[in-house]
Amino acid sequence: MFKPLQIEHLYLAYGSAFVLHDVNMEIPPNRITCLLGANGAGKSSLIRAVMGLTAPRKGSISFDGMDITHLAPHKVVARGISCIPEGRRIFPKMSVHENLLMGAYQERSKAKIAQRLEKVYELFPRLAERRNQLAGTMSGGEQAMVSIGRGLMPDPRLIVIDEPSLGLSPALVNDNFRIICDICETGTAVFLVEQNVRQTLAISSYGYVLSQGRVTARGTAEELKKDPQVEKAYFG
Amino acid sequence: MDVILQFCINGLMLGMMYALVAVGFTLFFGVLDVIVFSHGDTVMIGAFAGLSMHWWLELFHPGLAMGWRLLWVLVAAIVAVVVVGVIVARFMIMPLRKAPALNTLLATMMLGTVLRESVRLFFPDGSNPKPFPHLLPDWAWQHGNLTLRFDNVILFLSGALVIVLVYLLINKTRLGMAIRAVAQDEEAAQLMGVNFTMIVLATFALGSAVAAVAGVMNGIYYNEINFGVGLLLGAIGFSASVIGGLGNVYGAIAGGFIFAFLQTLGAVALPFSSAFKDVFAFGVVIIIMALRPTGLIAEPSSQRV
Repeated sequence: MFKPLQIEHLYLAYGSAFVLHDVNMEIPPNRITCLLGANGAGKSSLIRAVMGLTAPRKGSISFDGMDITHLAPHKVVARGISCIPEGRRIFPKMSVHENLLMGAYQERSKAKIAQRLEKVYELFPRLAERRNQLAGTMSGGEQAMVSIGRGLMPDPRLIVIDEPSLGLSPALVNDNFRIICDICETGTAVFLVEQNVRQTLAISSYGYVLSQGRVTARGTAEELKKDPQVEKAYFG
Repeated sequence: MDVILQFCINGLMLGMMYALVAVGFTLFFGVLDVIVFSHGDTVMIGAFAGLSMHWWLELFHPGLAMGWRLLWVLVAAIVAVVVVGVIVARFMIMPLRKAPALNTLLATMMLGTVLRESVRLFFPDGSNPKPFPHLLPDWAWQHGNLTLRFDNVILFLSGALVIVLVYLLINKTRLGMAIRAVAQDEEAAQLMGVNFTMIVLATFALGSAVAAVAGVMNGIYYNEINFGVGLLLGAIGFSASVIGGLGNVYGAIAGGFIFAFLQTLGAVALPFSSAFKDVFAFGVVIIIMALRPTGLIAEPSSQRV
């Protein structure tokens, strides 16, 4: 069992505009932890800081007991954190197969890659059918599958999922939530960033509410369901 | 008929050289969205590094067989150009990434001048053209007015081999997959665990190595090099990569041959003196750019390499 992702007193700014103020969070293993908040609350900036894409001004981020605050993204990934980015960000001119291989970029063992590919194709039979299709020519729902499958390929210890249901039909959103539950059950910690409050709280065990760069509420999913701050974060 | 065939052969030779230079422009634009105007001058550096190696071999290993000599000249050219390319990428282009693209463009233009002037001033008698050694056999196949020189065939096939190797590297290797990923979505590639800096430097090493081959080809083909040869080669290579839709490797290769075809057409088929061939070719490029601003092989900018 590894130690959680720990975010302590994190401040992040673009120029002189601070977007995160003194954020403290803990994402434990074997659970789904969610981050709720309206557009512009700073959710994506927090993810960028965790993944090493944007350097925070102050504070620290550690994972499994090691400081990862100022690591480059590829080194964060090497620690076992995988990211399914907002907007899917698949490689449009690569085949489905190559997109999945990119997900396991740091894995050198061919046997392990083959094994994980098989798992992903089992999870998404549709991707197996279309493994040679260019990902950019697929539908939004299929691209979401590619993005999730790609995020699973490194066999991460923590998976950060940013707005997976954005732009998907309700049926596909349900599929996504089911798959996220499955991911968690295999022992991977899940940090889920979502706007879909009801469904997210239904599968999460713990949650944080971010509003204008500050954590305004935190608690178990049950507590958050009743917390007026949650509603306030979305509707002001 | 023979004359036309002869011009076709020469056009193919030129096209191959231009294609090799254009590949560099298009690779650099693919991964970093920058235009590296000094790329033509690094081709010239390659030719001079090859020449230096030749002189050194003449002094210390005068009996060396021609094939080995050519190999060493190529190695010297590739090493020199790769070193220059990687240093330029690491210490000039990457630090300028946050600046407007125009700044990179201007900085690399100035760097091109620095490279040219450095060779002119510091290379022994650098301001005069230098004879480039003929490192290939002189055999030729004669048919009427048509001469097919064996060395040209070798040069052409070597260029084709380089292009095939680049293709395999880009499409069949892990490094190539990472280069394509960075070109398509730099941040997503990083999130997959790609070391961005390493991939950018590897891309510059690749583009530079290809340019070095073009530099040696250019020297052998014309039997002469001078410090300014990169200026025109750079302009042509850049035009070729723009014709092909910047960022598209195959487009750049096609663009190189199209440019050479235009030059050849300007030299033979048009009623004015062949001295105007470059004017004609660049003129057509301007027209192509006006009609098809994204290149002949147009693609959305999100789908490069």
